[in-house]
Amino acid sequence: MSISSIPILTIVTFLPLVGVLALAIAPERYARGIALATALATWVVSLLLLVGFQAGGQRGELFQFVVAAPWIPAFGIQFKLGVDGLALILVVLTTTLTWISILASFGPIKDRVKLYMISFLVLEVGLIGVFVALDLFLFYIFWEIVLVPMYLIIGIWGGGNRIYATIKFVLYTLVGSLLMLVAILATGFAFQAATGSWANAFDFETLRSFATTGPGFAGGLQLGAFIAFFLAFAIKVPMFPFHTWLPDAHVEAPTAGSVILAAIMLKLGAYGFIRFALPLFPGAAHTFAGVIIALSVIAIIYGAIVALVQPDLKKLVAYSSVSHMGFVTLGIFVFNEQGMQGAILQMVNHGLITGALFLLVGVIYERTHDRTIAKMGGISTPMPAYAVAFGFFAFASAGLPGLSGFVGEFLSLVGAFLYSPWVAAVATFCMILAAAYLLWMYQRMFFGEVSDFLKNLRHHLTDLTPTEVLTLAPLAALVVLFGVVPGLVLDLIAGSVANVLRDVASQPAVEVAPEVAAVALLAVAIYVIARVIVTANADRRAAIEAADLAAGAGG
Amino acid sequence: MDQSLVLITPLVVAIGAAIVVLLVDLILPGRDSLAVAVSLIGLGAVAVATLWANQAPGQAYGGAYEVDALTTFLDLLFVSIIALTLVFAPDYLKPRGLPIAEFAVVLMFAMTGAMLIAASTDLLLLFLGLELMVLPGYMLAAFHKTDGYSTEGAIKYFLLGSFSSAIFLFGLAFVWGMTGSTRVGDVAAALTNIAATPGAFSAGLAMGFAFLTTGVAFKIAAVPFHYWTPDAYQGSPTPVTGYLSVGPKIGAFALILRLFVEALAPLKGDWLPVIIVLAALTMTVGNLIALTQDNVKRMLAYSSIAHTGYMLVGLAAYAGGQQLGIEALLFYAAAYSFMNLGGFAVIAALQKRAGVTSSLETFAGLGRREPTLGALMTLFLLSLTGIPPTAGFVAKALLILAGVQAGGWVAFLAVLVVINAAVAAFYYLRVVVYMYMREPVSEVEPPRHGRLLWGGLAVATALTIVLGFFPFLITGMIGQAATALGG
Repeated sequence: MSISSIPILTIVTFLPLVGVLALAIAPERYARGIALATALATWVVSLLLLVGFQAGGQRGELFQFVVAAPWIPAFGIQFKLGVDGLALILVVLTTTLTWISILASFGPIKDRVKLYMISFLVLEVGLIGVFVALDLFLFYIFWEIVLVPMYLIIGIWGGGNRIYATIKFVLYTLVGSLLMLVAILATGFAFQAATGSWANAFDFETLRSFATTGPGFAGGLQLGAFIAFFLAFAIKVPMFPFHTWLPDAHVEAPTAGSVILAAIMLKLGAYGFIRFALPLFPGAAHTFAGVIIALSVIAIIYGAIVALVQPDLKKLVAYSSVSHMGFVTLGIFVFNEQGMQGAILQMVNHGLITGALFLLVGVIYERTHDRTIAKMGGISTPMPAYAVAFGFFAFASAGLPGLSGFVGEFLSLVGAFLYSPWVAAVATFCMILAAAYLLWMYQRMFFGEVSDFLKNLRHHLTDLTPTEVLTLAPLAALVVLFGVVPGLVLDLIAGSVANVLRDVASQPAVEVAPEVAAVALLAVAIYVIARVIVTANADRRAAIEAADLAAGAGG
Repeated sequence: MDQSLVLITPLVVAIGAAIVVLLVDLILPGRDSLAVAVSLIGLGAVAVATLWANQAPGQAYGGAYEVDALTTFLDLLFVSIIALTLVFAPDYLKPRGLPIAEFAVVLMFAMTGAMLIAASTDLLLLFLGLELMVLPGYMLAAFHKTDGYSTEGAIKYFLLGSFSSAIFLFGLAFVWGMTGSTRVGDVAAALTNIAATPGAFSAGLAMGFAFLTTGVAFKIAAVPFHYWTPDAYQGSPTPVTGYLSVGPKIGAFALILRLFVEALAPLKGDWLPVIIVLAALTMTVGNLIALTQDNVKRMLAYSSIAHTGYMLVGLAAYAGGQQLGIEALLFYAAAYSFMNLGGFAVIAALQKRAGVTSSLETFAGLGRREPTLGALMTLFLLSLTGIPPTAGFVAKALLILAGVQAGGWVAFLAVLVVINAAVAAFYYLRVVVYMYMREPVSEVEPPRHGRLLWGGLAVATALTIVLGFFPFLITGMIGQAATALGG
């Protein structure tokens, strides 16, 4: 039996479910071991994919390891999985970070371990499924499955304000994704109406060739469906102004939840743009590219500025995510090779670096139960190894050449420069801001005198434990590896990049009638103004109430 | 054997089974498990009779009665609903000293009414079936007769129910007057003529339509005719609430299918706008009010109003020219029955000890106290929200697909469905928050649940999951039913 006859992709996707079943019947005390073993096994199998994948040339542009079976034949819905370079690298990123997260949860999670581990493994199934699904309906199902375990992880094992955070997270995501469901169904129906048959109506490859080399979807459908897909993906990325759930979710989530949220879940949105939104609706993508680039640049600046003033370490990393993911969407929507490569590379790097930063935030939180930067100081004295690790990843995040963060941002910026030097100039300026908030934070936390707050806790301030080193070391190694040899990733994704760029180039922009555009702009403007007024009113009322309280206390 | 007799066998068997249970209870009073066992066997016999009658579908009694694929599908659905209700009830009824055999008998009579609706092709017979279905419903709502809320809810239900029946009958009279027949087929033919002649759509016919729509809207609890629902649902014993939110609602939808889709189809362009407005109002208002409830039973009552709105989208899609609308409606009805009954079964199980309320606090820490019940409730709530891979998701997806295909304002309804689903997620997930993210209020030993309850929950769970993964198991049958009706 050769390797190719084993449905290895199906195994990778559903192997965690075996662990879930084992967890369901095993006693609580074995939960950690079973979960870690399952995650490691999934990881190993996913590495086999990496070995078997043929990256170069024609072959590299095709989906590989494809499995397909009819599922709901009446509507041509299939169970179809397959990977190209882009999906593959994200699958491996997922399996890697899942075992790291599970290992990192051993210490902090003491309550309801079994349920926690089950949630994590179900989450892994959903995440891998999103990256490998080649049927739009199936993709949607995996997309929604991701939501439930993350909801539980934040809501049960999160911080003080966890319920607010988790409901906000679910509702934001759900609004976007449900509209995407309508768009998916409308797309399938449009295909059926055009070809007269439901056969393969939700099959990604069929739809893509229909959309790019075939007759293509009508302009109106493209615009509507693209907006729906955009909302779903933009909320997930999250792009400005859809990012407000992110800081809450990150701050309240347990460490491992934050790691997966930042490292993998934010990539779902970017992946969705590259895999589905661009190839299926290339005309609409051109129409909206300008707006999305503008939003990306705003996200880059806004995220960096807000990160600069955060008193909470975890919030700082969360806002830096908004800024870094801005580079991803910027790179995607400039529609050139450098931009797209940079975007994908940045997705991987952000996963590694921000994942590691959240692990590091978790390390100090475990010891002090606090994340306020102002209370810290001089940590490098009691915890030198921790300081080194934190410094390494902070520099990587700031884009130090030689580490992987640099290459992705650099390529994105080259892409942006080819699109418009002005955009590149503004975005480059923000790399300085990134260096500023990271180094300033680092200096306040790690240098100088040991703060009084930490002095009182000095017995708890032990340096990194072997487990913590084990979770951080692989990430550090990959950051160096991809920093020095970015070609490893670039070769793998070359086919995907070529594909999506060819798809996008296949159609000119869909023209929007000026009156429609005017009405849309007006609606957005009214919404923004209303939002501002409501917020201002709330602030004013809060101020009045505070004043009343103060007056009452005084009287 | 006479063809007419073959076709009415399911009804005869159903009534016979009810009488047998009555006799068993008379001869051997107080043997609850025996009564339940006999009822379940009777229900099985009804299912077999239904399938048997379906071997030779056709009309009987001068075209007033018809067995087709739709009748068969609905009959099987009613049998499942009644069986599940019956299985869930004893755990709740017994501690409160309520008679179980009588409960079973009343339920089976209600089922007979619903089955009569599913097979009627005559307006008067439809009305007869409707009354036979809802009268036992009033009795069930008042089943806990020493409980003030139960009585209050039942009286409201009864008064508004009879009121709406009268309105409905009034509408029937108008339609009869304008078309000259009570046979569904003849009415449709007469209306086709009216639709073809300009200016023939008279004020009288419009009145008839208005009264019929109002009467039916009361029965399915569509906004703004929903005011009886929350009180009736909250006051009734919990297993009854589960039944009321499913059985009579789907029975009334069967009436809608026979009436609007078969008899009034030629004028569907005229009633489509009304259905669109009703659907939009029903789902939105139902969901918005459900948001503010902190009693789970009452919340599910309002959410069942919202689900009525979703199902109306299927009807609107049909009127918009999509056969798929009917299929989506039928699939939704099946999926909704199992997940909603399952949800109410969990509430009933929690209320096994008399005096336990159905407020959100009851659910606090359930995930820790009773992990299996908590997990099942989560599944049912996720399905009600429409999260894959559950039956509720496939049902919503089919509805949305039908709506999108129909285009125009119906496509707008499809978008409204998803926005409402997101709103609904908030209050459904709030229950999950209480179950998993709050600590229990009191540390009492959880009650032991009967084997019947677990069995019923297993069936409801299996159906909720299986229909999510393999919807084609019933879509074939649904397709035939829709073809029999509209094709």
